Amino acid sequence: MSTLVNSAGQPLARAAHPGPAGAVTAPDQSFFKDLNQEVSDKGFLVTSTEELFQWARTGSLWWMTFGLACCAVEMIHVNMPRYDMERFGAAPRASPRQSDVMIVAGTLCNKMAPALRKVYDQMSEPKYVISMGSCANGGGYYHYSYSVVRGCDRIVPVDIYVPGCPPTAEALLYGVMQLQRKIRRVGTVER
Amino acid sequence: MSMQLEQSPTTGDDVITNYTINFGPQHPAAHGVLRMVMELDGEIIERIDPHVGLLHRGTEKLIEHKTYLQALPYFDRLDYCSPLAMEHSYVLAVEKLLNLEVPLRAQYLRVLFSELTRICNHMLNMGSHVMDVGAMTPNLWLFEIREDCLNFFERASGARMHSAWYRPGGVHQDVPLKLLTDIADWLDTRLPRLFEDAMSLVVDNRIFKQRNVDIAIVSKEDALAWGFSGPMIRAAGVPWDLRKSQPYDVYDRMDFEVPVGTASDCYDRFMVRVEEVRQSARIMKQCLREIPEGPIASSDRKVVPPKRAEMKSSMESLIHHFKLYTEGFHVPAGEVYVATESPKGEFGVYLVSDGSNKPYRCKIRPTAFSHLQAMDFMSKGHMLPDATAILGAIDVVFGECDR
Amino acid sequence: MTVLHSAPRFASNEGVREALTGALGAKVVASKEDHGEIVLTVERAEIENALRSLRDDFGYQQLMEIAGVDYPSRAERFEVVYMLLSVTKNHRLLVKVCAAENTPVPTVTTLWPVAGWLEREVFDMYGVIFAGNNDLRRILTDYGFEGHPFRKDFPLTGYTELRYSEEDKRVVYEPVKLAQDLRSFDFMSPWEGADYVLPGDEKAAEKPATPPVEEKKVTETKADTGAGEKANEKAADKVAPAAPTGTVAGQGGGDPAPVTTDKAEPGAPEPTGDRPDRGATGGSAAKEGSGSAPEGS
Repeated sequence: MSTLVNSAGQPLARAAHPGPAGAVTAPDQSFFKDLNQEVSDKGFLVTSTEELFQWARTGSLWWMTFGLACCAVEMIHVNMPRYDMERFGAAPRASPRQSDVMIVAGTLCNKMAPALRKVYDQMSEPKYVISMGSCANGGGYYHYSYSVVRGCDRIVPVDIYVPGCPPTAEALLYGVMQLQRKIRRVGTVER
Repeated sequence: MSMQLEQSPTTGDDVITNYTINFGPQHPAAHGVLRMVMELDGEIIERIDPHVGLLHRGTEKLIEHKTYLQALPYFDRLDYCSPLAMEHSYVLAVEKLLNLEVPLRAQYLRVLFSELTRICNHMLNMGSHVMDVGAMTPNLWLFEIREDCLNFFERASGARMHSAWYRPGGVHQDVPLKLLTDIADWLDTRLPRLFEDAMSLVVDNRIFKQRNVDIAIVSKEDALAWGFSGPMIRAAGVPWDLRKSQPYDVYDRMDFEVPVGTASDCYDRFMVRVEEVRQSARIMKQCLREIPEGPIASSDRKVVPPKRAEMKSSMESLIHHFKLYTEGFHVPAGEVYVATESPKGEFGVYLVSDGSNKPYRCKIRPTAFSHLQAMDFMSKGHMLPDATAILGAIDVVFGECDR
Repeated sequence: MTVLHSAPRFASNEGVREALTGALGAKVVASKEDHGEIVLTVERAEIENALRSLRDDFGYQQLMEIAGVDYPSRAERFEVVYMLLSVTKNHRLLVKVCAAENTPVPTVTTLWPVAGWLEREVFDMYGVIFAGNNDLRRILTDYGFEGHPFRKDFPLTGYTELRYSEEDKRVVYEPVKLAQDLRSFDFMSPWEGADYVLPGDEKAAEKPATPPVEEKKVTETKADTGAGEKANEKAADKVAPAAPTGTVAGQGGGDPAPVTTDKAEPGAPEPTGDRPDRGATGGSAAKEGSGSAPEGS
């Protein structure tokens, strides 16, 4: 078992030591030990279906590649090795039928809006929408244009708004983590 | 009971009619929001009618309602794969109307960052082109280069993508020395290693060649008549590069070669871009060697705002700053058409000024418009999967195509 | 004019304008050289012939762009500008024609196939008709769009906007309703001859001039000012005695002694909302709001 030690080799008490910036927070070892014990003892685990579903939903957020404009580039970047969103189980998927979350990345124009709605309608439940960037959030820099939808929430219901023009790859990653958080809290009073 | 002849037709009698399929607007290989109505005879493309405008944001109209400086960031958002190259045309157009002199250091910085943008753009294009025809790994490596480029942009301007860093009269901020040395290190070590590794997987790859060689051959005459520019016309064997023939900023001092294709197919277009990356690195190295010290923007205070420190002590600077950020500067009446060599081809800005602080008309000449129009005749007679290779080799970005 | 800017430098313009106007003859209506650009304005009916001659005889092989410009005050309000490029001579040229809504411009798709989409775009944005272009559909604007958005009299925000309707289960078009209108600021300096009445100056504009006064107000002598010895004495008085603990900067005494008067403390003013139907704002309204809240949420 690995324990955090200080320079003198003394084990660190986690509660007493908040840790400097960049310090490693050790995973909750006792949780994993208990889990391991349970599986090896009984050969099965007991959990609620609610928790099981939430674990499955948050752990495989396959997102629909809906790159519209500039933000699409950052959306690609978040999938590439530097940020590697697949760590979080979020993998790109080109077909709406098999994806769970749609990332609306970029300016949504009037000509494109019916297609966006059609793709959203084709997705299977439960489905989530992340609105990425100022243009998708509310029109942004193109708010007053005659051909731009002033926010993609006029067309599809949005779960998470990621601000920025464009949001950095980190910001989108954070948005995806926020969506996971939101999914975990479905059905609880905690918000 | 009499014998009954079978009435249903057999395969031989069947008349196969052409059928029409809809490609896009949401398709991973469409590079954005392109919709193509394809008429197919079996798997052979008979006709393609590209529908563009799905990302038409009315940029040109919005620019007419903004001052010259406020209009600048719209150019970043046109071709979002090469933002600074878009700004370059615009600031040069404004400077041409104003007849404004730009200090030498600013010109070097612009050339340096335009070439960095070119590398950045080609990484995205080559990566997605390779991915469209079936390879995955090179894209991952090329995006690592892109990530480095974005970091450099961020260090120069504060923004990863939409820098708004070129300004009429120069650039917005000077760069720290460490950034220049880091770029130099990167050009010597990381870029060649990652890039040449990735290219060694692709350029001699049998599958890649089968998908690209002899696809969409365009003759020199056709390339001229269809208004091709950039790598598309160079692959057709026309040695035409605006950086060489119509040099702007300090490109006339730069020592570089213009790669030209021989077969004018998709493979040549790809290889022209590969060589352009190496030449861009060469230009950047020369810039870093020669870049002089000095101001980074014109000292004409009617166009370029004063430094913040100056404003603390000088009333006149404060007034200039206030006027420039409320009213903006006035540009003499007239019209110019300024085109620069963006990574995708000739990117032009036709700017009409009526002497006020807002452009009267700003027509943007996108590179992809004429290339995409030629999609129909380029892909006629090819197979359906070739359409993605052709599209990848065109290097189309819809922010710029639809404006 | 010396060239200071660093914009693209192509081959010299010297003599080009004279040579072209001479060769094209009557087809050219006007020509100018400005900001380093040669602009030829050509007779509308002759544009195809003029461009053919420029392409075949003068080596302008490429048509890079066609731009429309709208000048609503002119009789023929639209300008169509053709940007030509010569790859062999390394030169650029702008050729213009003027057109109105109902005067078609001959197409140049016969010369350059690229003109097809470029003309479609000008048609889409300005409504200029190109005679002979057999594919003159809209290109950039929405399917079923009405109007020509780049005309100067077309509002920036357009006339319709989109929304998904839960009732109809489809995307519907509605008239534009903005939460905040587009703000356009007027930066014209009032001292540099604004030819309109400034907001707030309407009354001043109605009266031609201030009427002359009988007796001019001056402050030459002490009597004119209305002040006197009494006022001076009063001015010398301290407002309040200086507090022992210190002073407030610039005000002398820091803590004036409280003065008791027989007047009552001024109460809160009557509610003065500009929406009387809403009732008074503040305490009572807030209570009402909280009362009805559970119903709504």
